[in-house]
Amino acid sequence: MKRSLAAGLFALFASHAVAEEAVWTPSTFTLDNGMEVVVIPDHRAPVVTHMVWYKVGAVDEAPGKSGIAHLFEHVMFKETKNIGPEEFTSIVQRSGGQLNAFTSWDYTAYYERVAKPQLGKMMELEAERMVNLIINDDPKGPFISERDVVKEERRQRIDNNPGVILQEQVLSQIWKGHPYEITVIGKMDEVAALTPQDGLDFYKHYYSPENAILVVAGDVTPDEVRTLAEANYGVIPRSGTPPTERKWRAVAPLSETLTLEHADPKVRQPSWSRYYLGYSQLRQPKETLALEVGLEILGGGMTSRLYQSLVEQQQVAIAANAYGYTSLHDEGPAVLSASPAPGVSLETLETALMTEVEKVLAEGFTEAEVVRARNKLAADAIYARDSQSGMANLFGGWLAIGGTVDQLLAYPDDVRAVTPEEAIAAVRAVFAPDKNYIEAHLLPAEGDL
Amino acid sequence: MRTTQLLLGAVALSVLSGCSTVHGWFQGKPEPAELAAPAEPGLAVTVHEGEFATIQQFVTPGGVSVWLVSEPSIPILAVEMAWKGGAAADPAGMQGLGEVVAYSMNEGAGDLDSLAFQTAMEDLNMSFGCTAGAEWTSCSVSSLTDNADDAMALVATAFAAPRFDEGPFQRFLREEEVGLQTRETNAGYLAWRATAQALYPDHPFARETTAESLAALTPALAREHMRTLMTRDRLIVTAVGAVSPAELAPLVDEVAAGLAEAATIPEVAPVDVAAAPVTEVVIDLPQPQSLVRFVGPGIDRTNPDFFPAYVLNYTIGGGGFESRLMKTLRVQKGLTYGVSTSLDPNPMLLTWSGGGQTKNESAGEFVAGVKDELQAFIDGGVTEQELSDAKAYLVGSYPLGFDSNAKIASQMMNVRQDDLGVD
Repeated sequence: MKRSLAAGLFALFASHAVAEEAVWTPSTFTLDNGMEVVVIPDHRAPVVTHMVWYKVGAVDEAPGKSGIAHLFEHVMFKETKNIGPEEFTSIVQRSGGQLNAFTSWDYTAYYERVAKPQLGKMMELEAERMVNLIINDDPKGPFISERDVVKEERRQRIDNNPGVILQEQVLSQIWKGHPYEITVIGKMDEVAALTPQDGLDFYKHYYSPENAILVVAGDVTPDEVRTLAEANYGVIPRSGTPPTERKWRAVAPLSETLTLEHADPKVRQPSWSRYYLGYSQLRQPKETLALEVGLEILGGGMTSRLYQSLVEQQQVAIAANAYGYTSLHDEGPAVLSASPAPGVSLETLETALMTEVEKVLAEGFTEAEVVRARNKLAADAIYARDSQSGMANLFGGWLAIGGTVDQLLAYPDDVRAVTPEEAIAAVRAVFAPDKNYIEAHLLPAEGDL
Repeated sequence: MRTTQLLLGAVALSVLSGCSTVHGWFQGKPEPAELAAPAEPGLAVTVHEGEFATIQQFVTPGGVSVWLVSEPSIPILAVEMAWKGGAAADPAGMQGLGEVVAYSMNEGAGDLDSLAFQTAMEDLNMSFGCTAGAEWTSCSVSSLTDNADDAMALVATAFAAPRFDEGPFQRFLREEEVGLQTRETNAGYLAWRATAQALYPDHPFARETTAESLAALTPALAREHMRTLMTRDRLIVTAVGAVSPAELAPLVDEVAAGLAEAATIPEVAPVDVAAAPVTEVVIDLPQPQSLVRFVGPGIDRTNPDFFPAYVLNYTIGGGGFESRLMKTLRVQKGLTYGVSTSLDPNPMLLTWSGGGQTKNESAGEFVAGVKDELQAFIDGGVTEQELSDAKAYLVGSYPLGFDSNAKIASQMMNVRQDDLGVD
């Protein structure tokens, strides 16, 4: 009885798997005005996540205008020709929707999460602010108060947190000379000097259908989205402005090794980290997968080499990690980091950690470690499907930097194909003894509170 | 969570077999006709057809009460388990005991030490971990459907034969030793402590771990306390995933088999927030921005004014960008990145609270701005437009809580913990 039930279940699973693949696989098409569209069906609940991604971010900012991409994102909620001041949010929330936006070096995205019947209205709203935004130039008006809001946001995200202050300094060294050098939110003094005219110039230059991607995830079919998208976005003419070359470029290797220290009276637990230049998924797809597998084994979790050696066996650390910034368009750092056990100096911690890294570089990984790490990364891709908005973010973010849907769909198979030789080769290439790096020490300030 | 009670709405009751849903879940939401198919003896399932999720309630042959939403479209299973009784049940002078119990649950069981247990979880691509809240001890399992049997078997060994090895126990103490230091410059923690000391200084909710309380803990005490916290009689389970009641029931029973049958935990007395004196506390912290928190008496769900209060909270501070506090303090004055308020309907600690951050120079202006808005709200009430906006959002956004397995599992658990009933 049990056996036959199991066999029956297996058969159902097998056929189900095929059907399921077809049901959630994203589809893409392009409107006549050049706006790309991605539809990610998910019929579990009558809900949709509607996103518009613009191919502009902090990387595109002019010298001295750091923070404009992000401040402008705030201004997009203010007022349009047909929507009164602060009314945009009111209309969405009155429709039972949740909304927000975010800015990265590589892109800017706006989203609304609503019950399915509200999708058309959300498109109407986003289409309106794509072309009809009004920027109030009153010197005491809403642009200025929004600038103050962004300054508070910077204080809250960065300046209040000694660890984040140090991280900002380190990233700025890793990307010295590259547009990623300045943090997305911008420098405080440059943000304070941004004007309504800066906002208007930015809008005219970058906000147009041919520079945007529409992503709709949820209880919809591609045909439904196409009909609504053509009616709402398809009617917007191309801006006619020739697309600007993005300021992306390969990140240059570090020319010197540096140690940065930040001491703050709020720091009660020191930490140590080293940033090497790593890979970008987009620029070095194969090497990046191999590096991700290698970093997982080296410092991904409790079973990793660093955790087992430093936290469990030697007990010189309470945390030890290895991770990479691989999802940006250009190369980002691969990081080794650790936090000392009570009474252990950063020097002792560093020696123990680098000894373990050198051992890995010399001896390589076992087959079993590699199988476990790559299966974990592949399984993460299945767990990720539980979040509708997460899926919209994943596909939107990847397409906005120039990736394709097929590349993302191939990820689980590609990561499972990484060999032990490839994984160790990637780790050896990034952490080679002759590579320069930026080391960071977060320290308590002398003379406590 | 709260809107669940508002709107779960029309409920259809029927009794069905577990077997029939094995077929039902490949075809989307089970139809009532299918649910009446021949029954497997012993598993009576009550089905609540909610507007956006079909909840199947059943008691396993081993006596565990389970709420399950069968969701076939992603091959994963999420199981939430909870027991009434948490950190507030720590014996006096042993703060941290419930926490180390929860910490130890995935740190080795049976023949598997910590590393072997963690490796086994990785081999199964599963996760399992527990947490100790003030009043609840909770564990979560996620697994791929293909590995669900093995994943739940591993969890079963954790409950039946937890090791409480000295190694992970000492690691917990090292982490806590660091935590005792870092919390002293954490603005949120300092604000919580100030609130607790002002409102309920002698209540178990106000107790903190200390170097002394941690020194009093031992693995043997943790082992004993685990049998007090995690018992079969107090276990409640919710699950969402590509699984039927008939498939899940034996897995839950296997997990529950190793638990102690029953144990008593101390009752917690409700805090009388309204009786506390009005105070203002200022704590120095060297950073550019100040955190402002304010806390006052809340309102119980059973109070007829609860839903009006819930709707009013949206207008004053719960409605994101639409709230009066946000419109005044952020949009008009540019004083803050965010300010918000919320009602906590926990019957033991009923509060209405809120807060935000602003540069140190404007902390006074921020506090005055909050007070002015509250006074204007008390004096003038809400407008018709505000009231209809609040209701439109609270009703219209209801389905957004049902678009992921994780959200549904945790919402169901909240409903069960608050004893609200499925509808």
